[in-house]
Amino acid sequence: MAYDRNLIRNFCIIAHIDHGKSTLADRMMELTCTVSKRDMEEQLLDSMDIERERGITIKASAVRMFYTHTDGKVYMFNLIDTPGHVDFTYEVSRALAACEGAVLVVDATQGIEAQTLANVYLAVDHGLEVLPVINKIDLISADPDRVMHEIEDEIGLPAEHAPRISAKNGVNIEQVLSGIVKELPPPGGDPSAPLKALIFDCFYDNYKGALSYVRVFDGTVKEGMRIRSMATGREFDVTEVGVFTPTAKPTNELTAGEVGYIAASIKSVAETKVGDTLTSAENPTPHPLPGYKQVNPMVFCGIYPADGAHYDDLRDALDKLKLNDASLSYEQETSAALGYGFRCGFLGLLHMEIISERLEREFDIDLITTAPSVIYKVKMLTGEEITIDNPAGLPPMTEIDYMEEPVVSAVVLTPKEYVGTIMDLCVEKRGVFVDMKYLDTTRVSLHYTLPLNEIIYDFFDQLKSRTRGYGSFDYELSGYEKSDLVKLDFLLNGELCDALSTIVHRDRAYPKARAVTEKLKDVIPRQQFEIPVQAAIGGKIIARETVKAVRKDVLAKCYGGDITRKKKLLEKQKEGKKRMRQMGSVSLPSDAFMSVLRING
Amino acid sequence: MSAVYIHIPYCVRKCLYCDFCSVPKDDSAGEYASAVAREIELRTKKLKAKERCQTVFFGGGTPSILPAEDLITMLDAVRAAFEMDDDAEISLECNPATANLAELIRLKEAGFNRISIGLQSADDGLLKTVGRAHSCADFLKCFMDAREAGFENINVDVMHGLPNQTMEQYADTLRKVCDLDPEHISSYALILEEGTPLFRMERACEITLPTEDETYDMQDYGLSYLPERGYSRYEVSNFAKPGYECRHNLVYWDNKPYWGFGVAAHSSMPKDGAWQRSANTEDINAYLRKLRRGKLPTEDEITLFASEESFECVMLGLRKVEGMNKADFETRFGVSIAQAFPKAFAEVESCGWWSETDTHLALTPKGMDMLNTVLTLFR
Repeated sequence: MAYDRNLIRNFCIIAHIDHGKSTLADRMMELTCTVSKRDMEEQLLDSMDIERERGITIKASAVRMFYTHTDGKVYMFNLIDTPGHVDFTYEVSRALAACEGAVLVVDATQGIEAQTLANVYLAVDHGLEVLPVINKIDLISADPDRVMHEIEDEIGLPAEHAPRISAKNGVNIEQVLSGIVKELPPPGGDPSAPLKALIFDCFYDNYKGALSYVRVFDGTVKEGMRIRSMATGREFDVTEVGVFTPTAKPTNELTAGEVGYIAASIKSVAETKVGDTLTSAENPTPHPLPGYKQVNPMVFCGIYPADGAHYDDLRDALDKLKLNDASLSYEQETSAALGYGFRCGFLGLLHMEIISERLEREFDIDLITTAPSVIYKVKMLTGEEITIDNPAGLPPMTEIDYMEEPVVSAVVLTPKEYVGTIMDLCVEKRGVFVDMKYLDTTRVSLHYTLPLNEIIYDFFDQLKSRTRGYGSFDYELSGYEKSDLVKLDFLLNGELCDALSTIVHRDRAYPKARAVTEKLKDVIPRQQFEIPVQAAIGGKIIARETVKAVRKDVLAKCYGGDITRKKKLLEKQKEGKKRMRQMGSVSLPSDAFMSVLRING
Repeated sequence: MSAVYIHIPYCVRKCLYCDFCSVPKDDSAGEYASAVAREIELRTKKLKAKERCQTVFFGGGTPSILPAEDLITMLDAVRAAFEMDDDAEISLECNPATANLAELIRLKEAGFNRISIGLQSADDGLLKTVGRAHSCADFLKCFMDAREAGFENINVDVMHGLPNQTMEQYADTLRKVCDLDPEHISSYALILEEGTPLFRMERACEITLPTEDETYDMQDYGLSYLPERGYSRYEVSNFAKPGYECRHNLVYWDNKPYWGFGVAAHSSMPKDGAWQRSANTEDINAYLRKLRRGKLPTEDEITLFASEESFECVMLGLRKVEGMNKADFETRFGVSIAQAFPKAFAEVESCGWWSETDTHLALTPKGMDMLNTVLTLFR
């Protein structure tokens, strides 16, 4: 028996990191008795440790709850959680497409941030009704009136009656629930039409295989039905349909307007494409839902086990992560300096950090990650065009006509006093100014075009530190531009260290070469022989430092009481040597290697 | 044949770089000598025959901080428990400003025949920086008193690599010390030990140490200057006039047996067919309490496998300029050094870091500089 569609509300929560999305979701689940307070683990929607620690959500989830409104009717709420970071814009757009409405949470102390704005525009573009909510009114520095005007002026949403809440303390949450019923529209759709279900996320379950999170727009899906992916043409038999409450609970069917999951013995999440339309194999719809895109990685780096013996462990770990993360790509690669490892592709820098952190934390593998790279287009003198995501694969400059690099259109929101420093930052990062707008008397929106390879290092960190945490940033790929790029190589004792090679703009090559060689001089432990550390473009050396040979390595004292302790010291020295990476004839500790990669020139 | 070490933990105040067992002199000091005497008695009374003793070394801490009579009480206990050689070397570590002439005379009469004085630097500013409780003038007086008391074997400790120390300051210290004509000089590089105040000060950038190269330059200067003044290097940090090498310390470097008495003292000797190292408690109160009750203060006992024991022989033996005695090693382990460590032997050989004579295997000066690297090959 299908639920009355007029009593269904499908919505998501849009909020900046730390503005209280997960806390609000928790309170809503408590109030609707979806979870009892006793079972409540703080912020249920964020199920991964790293998410919880960083206060961000990586995997979207969908939770069904039932709310009894003052009109006496029981409403079915489907809360669809959205990832909150710039790397996951496409995933966000698919989650939004599954909803009719959005709750916009704005921090009463901070106001609107760049990503929030970007996501609200995205929601409005998808035709969503937006219910603004002002959170954190319990804080002393809260200024709900100012934030209310900001919402009205910047987004153009009436906010006078926006619920003013404290999700943390559970204040006025009822107003939000009631607002969802009154302000957000119910879903449409035809339960008797051919099935049309949008996959907006997926999750790998050890027993059920890949689960697709879907929003059914038309028709009905139930166990035993044969379904077809309209993106790949592949067909599957549905083994289970269900909803999250928030734990998975099988149901008889999912019908037009509803949100839930489909299990169909799908082996890997790579086969469930976010944005794909599922339809009935027997009675297919002729038109898929719009908006499907194949997501491609934008940032690449090499990931190597710090200890070469852990190569197989690393491969197994990547295989496991891939089960749950279709946007992660990797293939085996070999580096002369680092041995066997993987070339991995990510949606963005945060995605890269999350993966490497999970590898180290959940799988306990020490890693060496090489400098991140973007995809360059290389036009050869022969007229052929190739793409390069690894500096090691760049052909000799003499065979190259010109190169193009990806550029992004970036928007920075910042308090006005930091405009100068942000402009400096953007100029340092080869940014081209587009325009600047005052959002109100205190806040400014800066629009720049920036090369992607300049923002994948530390742009975000720099932005945060230069604006004392108040600046925020959003970007999207805008295309490729011709650029004067060179490959910067580093040589240790005359031998090329391929893992350090990087593609940079010619103007940035000299400062970068100097910074890296100086750093290498500091971090390479003295060895039996003198080690020249050189930076080169093509065959030309542009910077040089020297690591002097070790002169002495001897303990000044060793008497009767020292012997056991001194022996341990030698033990430690020996262990330290074992952990060194051999770069040709030069030994380098893994952490030294990482510290060099962190340099941004 | 044995050597005896007696640890005296008391100090006027602890130097900022020191990580030895040392405590302020307090009421417990009065009880200490009798406690040590008790330990000597307890630990040796089960021996079937008295062992011969060739050296006794009172180290610290600051042994000279105790009254001469206390030191003599402990020495007498050693004499009672061991068969003391007539020409035994009996050393006392002494910090300037803690010993007076009368006491030094008394100690000489009681049989002490070697004094080791900690000067560290002739620069009063540097002494203050590292928390030494004396001046250079105090040292001079102490040295003169020791000579006047009749000591004909005196060692002076000096250090390089001290905070902001210059080559000139170090050279000046060496010159002043050599001018006094002691029989023995120990010249150490400062070791920044974790947990010491100096370590924390360096981390907090409150002090600046000389660079690696400046420190090595000082060391190299000493290596060439001291022989010019008649002091031959016989160990990594030790220099002596001919015949005045410290016999007690040679026992350590030859990895021969020694008894350690007192708080935190270490012992090393064969027991039941295997080599054993042991250490006394580092807690002064626990030490005194145990001996009051007639219990042994030993806390750590490790029995070494032959492979460990032979490594220790290499680790210690190669510290000596003379090197390791090949025959001694073979007698002790039944195999030659080359047989015991074939891989390391070949590697050190190929680096040219040692030279072999009929009797000894000794590191070259370069090999000596790289001793730790050499030793890691043997592990």
